[in-house]
Amino acid sequence: MTSAKFNATASRGGIRRRDLLSLMAGAVTWTTSLHAQKLTMPVIGYLCAESPEPFASRLKAFHEGLREAGFVEGRNVAIEYQWAEGQYTRLPALAANLVARNVDIIVAPGGAPVALAAKAAATNTNNAIVFEMGGDPVQLGVVDSLSRPGGNITGVSSLSVDVSPKRLELMHELLASAAKLTVVANPTSPTANSQLQKLRSAAETLGVRLQVVNASTEKEFEPIFSAVAEEGGGLVFTSDPYLAFRSRQLAELAMKYRVPAITQSRDFPMAGGLMSYGGDFAQSHRRAGMYVGRILKGEKPSDLPVQLVTRLEFIINMRAAKLVGREFSPSFVSGADEVIE
Amino acid sequence: MIVRERFRGLFPKYLFVLFMAVAIPLAINGVVEAWFGYRDQRERLDQLLGVQATSAAAEIHDFIFGITNQLGWLVQVPWSDEPDERRRTEALRLFRQAPAIVSLALIDNRGLERLYVSRIGLNRIESRTDRSADPAVVGARSARVWFSDVSYHRGSEPHLTVAVVGNRPSVGAVVAEVNLKLIWDVISAIKVGKSGFAFVLDRPGRLIAHPDISLVLRGAEEATSKPFRIIRDAIGPAGAGFATSRDAQGREIAAGAAPVAGLDWTVIVEQPLSEAYAPIYAALWRTAALLAAGTIFAALLAYTLAHRMTEPIRVLEEGTEKIGAGAFGHRISIETGDEFQRLANSFNKMAAELALAQQHQERIAKLKRFLAPQVADLVDRAGDDSVLDGRRAEVVVIFCDLRGFTAFSAALAPEEVMSVLSEYYEALGRAITQFAATLISFSGDGLMVLVNAPVPVEEPALRAVDLAVEMQKSVQGLIASWRSRGHQVGFGIGLASGVATVGRIGYADRFDYTAIGSVVNLAARLCASAADREILVDAEVAERVRGKRSLERLGDRQIKGFDEAIPVFGISLTTP
Repeated sequence: MTSAKFNATASRGGIRRRDLLSLMAGAVTWTTSLHAQKLTMPVIGYLCAESPEPFASRLKAFHEGLREAGFVEGRNVAIEYQWAEGQYTRLPALAANLVARNVDIIVAPGGAPVALAAKAAATNTNNAIVFEMGGDPVQLGVVDSLSRPGGNITGVSSLSVDVSPKRLELMHELLASAAKLTVVANPTSPTANSQLQKLRSAAETLGVRLQVVNASTEKEFEPIFSAVAEEGGGLVFTSDPYLAFRSRQLAELAMKYRVPAITQSRDFPMAGGLMSYGGDFAQSHRRAGMYVGRILKGEKPSDLPVQLVTRLEFIINMRAAKLVGREFSPSFVSGADEVIE
Repeated sequence: MIVRERFRGLFPKYLFVLFMAVAIPLAINGVVEAWFGYRDQRERLDQLLGVQATSAAAEIHDFIFGITNQLGWLVQVPWSDEPDERRRTEALRLFRQAPAIVSLALIDNRGLERLYVSRIGLNRIESRTDRSADPAVVGARSARVWFSDVSYHRGSEPHLTVAVVGNRPSVGAVVAEVNLKLIWDVISAIKVGKSGFAFVLDRPGRLIAHPDISLVLRGAEEATSKPFRIIRDAIGPAGAGFATSRDAQGREIAAGAAPVAGLDWTVIVEQPLSEAYAPIYAALWRTAALLAAGTIFAALLAYTLAHRMTEPIRVLEEGTEKIGAGAFGHRISIETGDEFQRLANSFNKMAAELALAQQHQERIAKLKRFLAPQVADLVDRAGDDSVLDGRRAEVVVIFCDLRGFTAFSAALAPEEVMSVLSEYYEALGRAITQFAATLISFSGDGLMVLVNAPVPVEEPALRAVDLAVEMQKSVQGLIASWRSRGHQVGFGIGLASGVATVGRIGYADRFDYTAIGSVVNLAARLCASAADREILVDAEVAERVRGKRSLERLGDRQIKGFDEAIPVFGISLTTP
């Protein structure tokens, strides 16, 4: 990290020099010093499992956090993006790419698979990693503990994975009469098993039967919705980035088949889905950006405890409720952070 | 030179004294001002940090008690045995309003849990678990509001359990779990000075709130909290004023503390010492700069004053030396308008007087060459030497010389000649002075004396005859001893009276008083024709002293330069 610190300091010096020189000598000096400055700018390697379009809101939050820590892309920091375009199997190769390019810090946002791929690629190197995920990084073995992450990695966890049973509870409450609820899990997700375990014990507490279906590709979505539409009941999506970033498709299917469903992401009710309950991704990505800034300024990742997001969002869509022929009780409406009418 | 040496130290002495006279009060004033300024600034800092700590503590208090107040709304209505959907709605609404509440449980009047809602865990409705022995419930029943110790969720996030009971037992109690991480919004908004901040410690001294959330998330660790506890211990009991300490990075800080009312927490505000003391340092620098400027000013002032005081003395010293060396024309120029100028003026006056006195002396000396001293004095006292101006006057001219002196002098060594001559002139001089006659000139062994000019005397002829007799007598005494050595030396005198032109002749400083006229020639001729021991006078002189001195008619004598023989008289030496 000393090199990153050096680079950050050097680039700040470069700005002052640039300002001074451009004042004195005009545009020619400005362009040459800009060139020189680019060489000394620290580089962030941004590893992402998705494509830029669904990730735009997260990236915006990340940039906000960076700016809060004093870094602006193109001015005093450069960002190297690696997009897996939804193909999670490409992540290890992309992570290895970033390691090979010797970036100053790797950012692994948007879920445990990304963090794990980055961590695996950076083993035996001194690359710093900042993750953003929904799962429990301790349980996943990404960090040693929340307060002392250990190694060269730290980050932010939203509580999305932890609150899967809460989604089951909400769905159960809405569909009190339904004896069976369908849970959608992504078998490739590192957190799938622990979530299912928690969901099963919650179902037991709630007294509801669970049907677990798997979906790891978009093709598998539609049969699930059509089945639930026929059998009745509701869909509860486990926390998983692949599913979360396909909120629009899921919402379209939910509207098409008039199926009550709940996911982790606010994108789902925004796109016409019924409801969502999960961590505030704007907060988690912003905090990840701030951590990246602090590390670029010279702090050690091991000194930065893993942050848990403090805000859990419950969003309901009244139009979707009408569409599926249900009505939210007053406690739903008063408990919702956002109601889409 | 001794005088100069003694005065050499005067300038540095004055310089030192004057410098000290200005610099010492300045320095004392500066030091006193700096000391009081320092004390005032410290007091101000004390007040500032005290106020900041108190207001920060009030904000923390408001945060916690805002939550307890909201919890209070859940314990307003008495419980019945029926499930109460409305309470759940209210609890969920409270979740939205108070993001710090993680979970809450409503306990009825019998101590049974009727509702539990959580943001993360599953809700429990009408579980009716007996929680009457729960320390939160017990604590709240005795004090209405109860707070647990701070616990760190998963060793990281600080949590606090709050329990509140209603105003009567039938409304039951509410127990809520509060995530203290959310105090960050409050604590990070508190700014102390430019870069100071506030943090919160619980009773055992663990970090609960700090603008750097990463420290709070490790607050349970001894290593994290210890530096903050050291600051708290340095301050001592909250409200005891500010203290200086070091933060975790070893930087010096100033910190003040205030307790959070109702909780056993301490809010501490800290500010880098350099920033807190910046006004003190600025004041000290200002004082130092003023002192330096004052010292330079004092030095300049002292130099100028010392110079002004010693410079006239130096000018005086130089001037008096010059005047002492005889340059009476020198004038000491001091325009200070004070005693020095007066002194210089006196010196100048003295020099002028000295010059006058010298001129007087010189004139006297000149006059004395041909006037009798008393006459010279008289002329000088009159301050007017017009008496020496040329005029015609009735004078008696006396000539005398030695006979056979040339041969006599040739036989003698020069020293002897001079000694003889000086004896001779001394004898003549005494007589001339005695009779207040005017010595006109002498050459070799002869001399010319004038009576009645330039100062008229009573009976000039008689006086001239008496003078001649005296001269003859004195010289004869001398001649006797010369003759005993075998030399034929004689002495004769001729006197004539008449009108002559008298006055000063000469050039520059070489002036003589002289008389011109036939009477001078006559006297000279009479002298030339006088034999040893003889005093020859003309008819006019004889006429004037007839009957007063014994005269002897010597008949008419042919005198060179006179066409006719003129009557000549001799004066007897023995008479009267």
